[in-house]
Amino acid sequence: MKPMAIVAGVCLALALQAPAGAQARPDFSGTWRFNQAKSSANIAGNTPIVAFPSQLVVKQTATELQVDGTSVRQQPTSAVFKLDGSKVSVKAPAGITESGEARIEGANLVITTRRSFTSPLGETIVDFKEVWTLSGNALTIEKTRTESGDSATEKAVFDKM
Amino acid sequence: MRLFFAAFSVAILAALAVPLEAHHSFSAVYDGNKPVTLRGKVSKLGWSNPHAHIYVDVVNQKGETVTWEVESASATNLLRAGIRKEDFIGTEVVVKGFLAKDGTPTVNASSFTLVELKKEYTSDEAAPGAP
Repeated sequence: MKPMAIVAGVCLALALQAPAGAQARPDFSGTWRFNQAKSSANIAGNTPIVAFPSQLVVKQTATELQVDGTSVRQQPTSAVFKLDGSKVSVKAPAGITESGEARIEGANLVITTRRSFTSPLGETIVDFKEVWTLSGNALTIEKTRTESGDSATEKAVFDKM
Repeated sequence: MRLFFAAFSVAILAALAVPLEAHHSFSAVYDGNKPVTLRGKVSKLGWSNPHAHIYVDVVNQKGETVTWEVESASATNLLRAGIRKEDFIGTEVVVKGFLAKDGTPTVNASSFTLVELKKEYTSDEAAPGAP
């Protein structure tokens, strides 16, 4: 009777584990609008050190995440990331080449992108890392900009519309 | 008398025209999608309002020295932040900003650091609404 109880216990544990794992996967879908009051100072206006979009439209499926960003002072960008972390192209304005990847890490979404363009410096490469976290109807994005060995990190909060 | 008023009006318009020309829209001149970081020595300074202009000699990837024009906050705002005109000339500076749309070596500064003096200035130009 004892082995039977052990097998039943293991089966019960596995059955309970599956839905718990499924629940842990966050869903970032929605239209998100920048909340200046809840975000870092100095990221709104003309001269943010780290630029964020004014609005994000996110569509998430089991395998993909489409992100469309619009802003007052930046041209729109759009990307369909594969959630397995494989590299994709980001639709960027003319003169800019951008690629990146996204993956779910626990309760967070991590997006890394590399943007390149020509400037009087030569070929300019800027790396971005975004860590997305959901909390109720708020989406917090911590974004790091790295260029020429110099980096800066800022935080923006977006409200669900 | 009529001639005097005409001359006076022209003088007033001319005086107003300078700051209007200098204070432009960010989006008209700079590309918010092209952030750049510059390191170099300050060679010249335009200490003025509504924007101070810092000229920085930067070595590009070909090894050539290119003078960049950095549009910053107003001289008044810089003074309020404890940064003086005398702090700039010949000093090493690190500038973070956005590249001009016309491809010239011109940036709008988000921040700059005067390396030797360890003074950092971050623009607090936060327009209402959105980034």
